[in-house]
Amino acid sequence: MSEQKEKIVLDVAYQPQVRTNTDTRRLMLDVIIALCPAAIWAVVQFGVSALVVMVSSVASAVFFEWGYRKLMKKSATIDDLSAVLTGLLLAMTLPPTAPWWLPVVGTFFAIVVVKQLYGGIGKNFLNPALAGRAFLLASYALTMGTYAIPKALKGTVDGITMATPLSYMYGTSAMPSYFNLKAIFLGTIPGALGEVSALLLLIGGIYLIVRKVISWRIPVAFIGTVALLTLIFGHNGLDRGGWMLYNVLCGGVMLGAFFMATDYSTSPVTLNGQLLYGAGCGIITVLIRYFGGFPEGVSYAILLMNLCSWAIDKAFHRHQFGVSKEDIAAEKAAKKAAKAAAKEAAK
Amino acid sequence: MSYQFKGGVHPNYMKSPEIPVTVITPPAQVIIPMAQHIGAPCQPLVKKGDYVTMGQKIGENPAPVSAPVHASVSGTVVAVEPRHHPLGDMIMSVVIENDYQDTPCTDLAPLTEEQLKDPDAILERIREAGVVGMGGAMFPTAFKIRGGIGKVDKLIINGAECEPYLNGDHLTMLNYPEQLMKGIELVRIASGVETAYYGIEKNKQDAIDLLNSLHPEKYGIEIVPEEVKYPQGGEKMQVKAVTNREVKPGGIPSGVGCNVVSTRTCYAIYQACYEGKPVIERIVTVAGSALKAPVNGLTRVGTPFGYLAEQCGGFVKTPRKIVLGGPMMGICATSFDAPTVKGTAGVLYFTEEEDKHVDNPTCIRCGKCITVCPMNLEPVFMYMYYSKGDFENMEKYHITDCFECGSCAYNCPARMPLTHAFKTAKLMFQAKAAADKAKAEAAAAKEAKK
Repeated sequence: MSEQKEKIVLDVAYQPQVRTNTDTRRLMLDVIIALCPAAIWAVVQFGVSALVVMVSSVASAVFFEWGYRKLMKKSATIDDLSAVLTGLLLAMTLPPTAPWWLPVVGTFFAIVVVKQLYGGIGKNFLNPALAGRAFLLASYALTMGTYAIPKALKGTVDGITMATPLSYMYGTSAMPSYFNLKAIFLGTIPGALGEVSALLLLIGGIYLIVRKVISWRIPVAFIGTVALLTLIFGHNGLDRGGWMLYNVLCGGVMLGAFFMATDYSTSPVTLNGQLLYGAGCGIITVLIRYFGGFPEGVSYAILLMNLCSWAIDKAFHRHQFGVSKEDIAAEKAAKKAAKAAAKEAAK
Repeated sequence: MSYQFKGGVHPNYMKSPEIPVTVITPPAQVIIPMAQHIGAPCQPLVKKGDYVTMGQKIGENPAPVSAPVHASVSGTVVAVEPRHHPLGDMIMSVVIENDYQDTPCTDLAPLTEEQLKDPDAILERIREAGVVGMGGAMFPTAFKIRGGIGKVDKLIINGAECEPYLNGDHLTMLNYPEQLMKGIELVRIASGVETAYYGIEKNKQDAIDLLNSLHPEKYGIEIVPEEVKYPQGGEKMQVKAVTNREVKPGGIPSGVGCNVVSTRTCYAIYQACYEGKPVIERIVTVAGSALKAPVNGLTRVGTPFGYLAEQCGGFVKTPRKIVLGGPMMGICATSFDAPTVKGTAGVLYFTEEEDKHVDNPTCIRCGKCITVCPMNLEPVFMYMYYSKGDFENMEKYHITDCFECGSCAYNCPARMPLTHAFKTAKLMFQAKAAADKAKAEAAAAKEAKK
């Protein structure tokens, strides 16, 4: 026994000596699982072309992540599944009619330029998937704005492509009857892969909150702000409640609020900061929808708020345990007094 | 009804209070380190060749912040030399060859009825019996209680035992409820307060029921069931849970009129006053995946970790770490030859199974550390400024308020060494403060010379 002991080299580490089972890979896997219902629904509605977009996007994202790290002689990171997630998220923002090379261009921008050039996971300040989408939207506007007819509407609508509910909402022609609230909630409408079924995205989002992968703060603040603002401002001649629901359920609000705005490295970590960030996303979304040149504003809203994350975190630096309200007030008063004294001295 | 603090985690508790206490046979040689407390280390009172009895005082220091140490077996002193201390260094220790007679020492007689009501007599005995904070902090208890007299209006007994694995407090409550409450009564009398509030986590419901059935009010005790959440047993969290007071940053509980004494310390005080027995043994939970099954062993102070593992069935897997205390705040022993001390509540032999080490930890900025920090700190930024060596911002983010509970690092999916970093940063701040002070003193001396 004692001889055996001689050979054992003991590790020494500071506390804690135990860790939770949830690691980065598990978190990423949970987000992928949460996206699955909506992704499967997209394949059901749009067929093989949707699958091609997703596979090409995920495969190219993983390839670029692996290739860049290999080329730069950095540690391999594809195991953490974050590249798979970025690829899948980018695919969810693309139309089902997108050619296979479109996501490859997008993931190159997302993974290499936005994520890896800034140091990889956790270091990027813009959401890679959304930045990739923004890049594609600017470069291939026509392809990005063409939407295939979902399976549920084949026969009802003629042709190959059709307009989305959002373009009717802020357009001049009246909303067709097949775009009723039920269709929009369940997802028998055209759109990007991940903006079809509000219900399935909501289920995925709730899964993430229950699993504590994301907190409720950002999605609730985001969706709540969109709902509140559209309820207040309304739209000429439309029922306010219905208008509000259309705004919340159509377009990228669900995908954006639950899956994009909650991206760890690009959203604030302070608790109150997350509320402000979510509300900011909501405000910009509504502003772009009402006044902007694009029918949809979610991706730009989130990208703009990404840029504010750092400042928000700085502003919402919280007081530590043991500091009472009186202490804070006293500190403020002392600062004020010091300022006044300095002013007096300057005079 | 207890108040709640923000944050905290729910680790896998791995507790085994259903396993009865077994008596660990003392080893052939016990190693008694002269420093088993915070404060001045003891000077050995014996030399090689001396015969000592069980409970005999073998080390002492007259400094106020200190506690004497006692022989945990009877036998012959075979060495007085530096030996491995569980905290890593080589520390002057007395090594006793056990004669297995357990000849008791009669130096400390049980206190008389009158003495049991006299705060000074109780405090004197607490000091003489070498009682220290046995929750792990090992701060001399007599000094702590004495310092709180007049300032403290709420005495809190800590029965949370929120660390995973550990069962010692729980088993003490179940096995010696009356003795324990008598011990708490003594602390209450010594502190000069009317009521002692006994905070116990609700996962020890059987103990709460048992204590309540024995009329705690007779001893001036009120049981406060607490939410099960790590680090409920932290001093500041106990104060918050029982009184809703918050200890000021950088302060100690007595700053808000509270004193926190651990369960096992109260039982040691009972033994010291009623039985005249110094601190020479305690219940140590021996567990971890390197062992076949956990053991709650009544273990003498000075039992080496290698011997302890053999007594508990030996290893079934090769251990990688020996963790002292609970896994959340426990530190690693560096040697199988280091012995248990008064503050050792658990000895955990961990393998790769518990050790979720990763090679290149990368922060993903998920903010999960912020949601669990019981001190309302922002570990993600503290770590960032730590890695840049930015002292100004570390201070701005209150790095020195961290009490190293480990919740942030426990909850970190990226396995960042957060607590490790903050502990290091605090040491850096201490060194900086000491250097600044020395500089100022040197400058003042120069000035005086002129």
